[in-house]
Amino acid sequence: MARYGMVLDYKNCINCKACEVACKEENGVLLGADAHRIWVGVDEIKGEYPLLDIVSSTFMPSQCQHCDNAPCEEVCPTHATYYDDNGVVRVDIDKCILCSYCMNACPYDARYVDSRTMTVDKCNFCSDTRLSNGEVTTACQATCPTKVRIFGDLDDPDSEISEILRTREHFTLKPHLGTKPKLFYVM
Amino acid sequence: MQMEVSRRKFLQGSVALSVAGGSAITATNLFGSGDKAHGKLSITTKTGVGGDSQYVATLCEMCVNKCAAMARVEDGVITKLDPNPLFPKSKNMLCPRGNAGIQAVYDPDRLKSPMIRIGEKGKGQFKKVSWDEAYKYIEEKMTKILEEEKDNRSSFLFCAGEGMAEHTFKTFYQAFGSSNWLNHSSICLQTVASGYGVTIGAYPQADLENAKYVIMAGANRAEAIVTPDTMNLFKNTKGRGTKLICVDPRFTNTAAKADKWLAIKPGTDLAFVLALTYVVLSEELENKEYVKANFNGFEEYKEHVIGNKYTPQWAEKITGIKAETIIEIAREFMVNAPQSIYYPGRRSTFAKNDFQLRRAMAIFQGLGGGIDCKGGLVFGSKVKIKNHAALEPIYARAQSRAITKKADAKVGEAGYDDCAIVTGGGSWLDWRERFLTNKMPYKVRGMFCYKHNPMQNMPNTKKTAEMLKRLELVVVIDTMPSDTVMYADVVLPECTYLERTDPIKTFGGVEPSVAVRNKVIEPMYETKPVIEILRGLTNKISKPLFEISKKYDEDIQDEIKDSDEESVYKEFDITKPFAHDQEYLNKHAVEDYPGAYNELVKNGVFYPHKSTDFKQLSVNEHQYYKEKNKSYSVNGGRAKTHSNKVECNLINLSKKGVDPMPVWKDEYNYKVPKDKFRLLTGRHAQFTQSGTANNSMLRDLMMENYIWINKRVAIERGIKFGDTVEVSSKTGSTRIKAYPTEKIAPNQVFFIHGFGEESSELTWAYKNGGNDNAVIEDIIEPTYGAAAMHETNVEIRKV
Repeated sequence: MARYGMVLDYKNCINCKACEVACKEENGVLLGADAHRIWVGVDEIKGEYPLLDIVSSTFMPSQCQHCDNAPCEEVCPTHATYYDDNGVVRVDIDKCILCSYCMNACPYDARYVDSRTMTVDKCNFCSDTRLSNGEVTTACQATCPTKVRIFGDLDDPDSEISEILRTREHFTLKPHLGTKPKLFYVM
Repeated sequence: MQMEVSRRKFLQGSVALSVAGGSAITATNLFGSGDKAHGKLSITTKTGVGGDSQYVATLCEMCVNKCAAMARVEDGVITKLDPNPLFPKSKNMLCPRGNAGIQAVYDPDRLKSPMIRIGEKGKGQFKKVSWDEAYKYIEEKMTKILEEEKDNRSSFLFCAGEGMAEHTFKTFYQAFGSSNWLNHSSICLQTVASGYGVTIGAYPQADLENAKYVIMAGANRAEAIVTPDTMNLFKNTKGRGTKLICVDPRFTNTAAKADKWLAIKPGTDLAFVLALTYVVLSEELENKEYVKANFNGFEEYKEHVIGNKYTPQWAEKITGIKAETIIEIAREFMVNAPQSIYYPGRRSTFAKNDFQLRRAMAIFQGLGGGIDCKGGLVFGSKVKIKNHAALEPIYARAQSRAITKKADAKVGEAGYDDCAIVTGGGSWLDWRERFLTNKMPYKVRGMFCYKHNPMQNMPNTKKTAEMLKRLELVVVIDTMPSDTVMYADVVLPECTYLERTDPIKTFGGVEPSVAVRNKVIEPMYETKPVIEILRGLTNKISKPLFEISKKYDEDIQDEIKDSDEESVYKEFDITKPFAHDQEYLNKHAVEDYPGAYNELVKNGVFYPHKSTDFKQLSVNEHQYYKEKNKSYSVNGGRAKTHSNKVECNLINLSKKGVDPMPVWKDEYNYKVPKDKFRLLTGRHAQFTQSGTANNSMLRDLMMENYIWINKRVAIERGIKFGDTVEVSSKTGSTRIKAYPTEKIAPNQVFFIHGFGEESSELTWAYKNGGNDNAVIEDIIEPTYGAAAMHETNVEIRKV
């Protein structure tokens, strides 16, 4: 039993997309740019050459926020979306009827349709491929060249993630929605 | 703090592709598989949730870095590549290409069996043959040519791309006895490696982990990933210990991670460095003690830089960078020295002045004393491994390299028709030009090409096609039906890097180690590792070739008279270097270290300090060496030249027509005619040149390359995102989709190299995006004959 979360040291991100490929390979995510569990957000730069706004081109790696208070779970009519024992927000594909309420409810646009199973798919913190084997890591964390991600147990006060959250300033995305994400961006 | 995070919107594919199982690939025709006809992609993503998984330690070959990976194998299928955290060079990472290596193995377009050309050259029509038939065909053609050329072994050209087995192929070239060897260097890092080589004695590494101040000019480590530099640098930038100044005409991802981005005019970096040097010398900011002890020719250089008035104000007009910025950077660099780095970079030659640029950079670095020290440029050390014996017979009839020395060259002029200095790797552009204009000193009629794609890798594709057409026997060893394969007479399919064991390699640096690429799965189809290909080939040709030498080589005839034929043949038996398996040779290479071989087979990495020093520090980080055991300084902080000094004034160079000190010339000024654009090319993190162009997973990240064109210019010309434009120059043209952006200057355009393949056997890469080499002019850098890739002006037309 754990409560897994992730810290993103997002200033390290160079937008190489290693995490996206590692995720697809690890989880058998279909090819096609519409199908992805993880992505790097980037906005087109502001300003006119050569007076460009460096800060406006920050890279924001993202994926499912694994909210403690997940809107997707709340709206699911068949309870296909559920919290597992580790607090990971997951989808039971046998129950999913592709009503797509969850996709609309998710404020982070973290869900997509797997056209193979015709169910909704999303990041599961590599629960079936790694956590179930006793590893405490995810494919995206392991592969990242500049080590953006630190994955760990938020309930364990001795874990590295707990230590970082105690000692470094951080923020979550769209906190005003009260979703209580378990992804934390450190500054 | 709130932040809106959007899904990526740009450069993404929109096609959902169906998936076939990885093991369901069967060859139904020469090139393709059943999947291909339907345009389906195969990915091999088993989830690894059950059953027996095996892990094999390997080294990546998706680019030059050779990062360590652990391959997961289930039921004989590679299902995942993960980083191997034991390797100090790549630490604990795999980039997107490294992750997508599985697709290189299971690409349905792979070369599957030996083939012999049946159609017109360049049309890609082949018949499938057995290995023996292919060897036999080569033997017949080769002996005919060598017979007619009276055993001039140099009538065959050998060329190879960079890689761990390049040496194995080079062994074949040496045993064969030709003098014509061309590798990637003249279209890669020749000028940077040589510039640093002659100035500070070696092409150094940069200790970015401990540097406090970094000028990264013309290098793009956020996109053109180099390990460990990329990982070391970007965790410290953005106010976290290392100040990064990015100097680049384009706003790259490195610029996005920098503290300051300077939009320099293309090809004017030399003026920038000279002006930095001027500031330091005129304000006397250099490390005087260091310079006094470790420089040769400092006073001449000082006089040269000051006397020529390479002032910041002078440089502002040339580079477009403000004088006060240049002054500020020069001062900051010296304040932080020796923990400051003018990053050497590792790239192809962009401008004609590149060699002198590198000299000026190396000297500037030396002024701060940041050589062979922590936080500066470092030489590092190496774990010694044993070489195995090679065979280098000398054939009396083999002529020297096909270059033309200038007959009437005086002291102070270039010694050759097309460049000043010829190195071991040669100059591809010079060689091709001599061949096409019949200026060769003798006939070169055949070519062996290993892991190299001349059709895609150098400027002016048309000329390369013409060269390949004129060569009578072109033998290509590759894994994919590249554009060059289409021009081959014989195609020998190599297995991919995950299907072979390669020579153990020693990786020098601050934290040196030895690593190996172990075979993960057996070679698929009829493919073989190059060592086995050469074993088969040399078994076929060794004796017949010796028969020809016997006929023409007086030395051999004399030797036979003095002893007997059998014992003379032993010296010319070119099968010998390939007689043993790679595993056997690898065992020999590390036999001085007890247990090392087993360690390498099991874990992929070995170094003597590993057992005492290696430990995991945190979720992501590891200690490879204790601080006291790191090789920051191996030469007492001195340069590695013969004199152990930084060489400012190289008189010997001037005898060969090369400026002894870096000089700015008016011809270097950046000029673009009205309505034209300077074409820039480069790399990024998702593709490695043409080698990955057909990789389905990487195409998932970026379907094709786009041309960057300034937003305001695009509006003027009515060009919108995704519009197709034709890019043309004197050399030729290509078509590519447009990406209007403010990240590029109004009179420049840019696109990623490696796209727009012409091989119709590459399902996804064929005519996908634009081919820069169809447009870039073959402009030759004068010192080493390197290809100057950023000197071409182009026209843009919406089509």
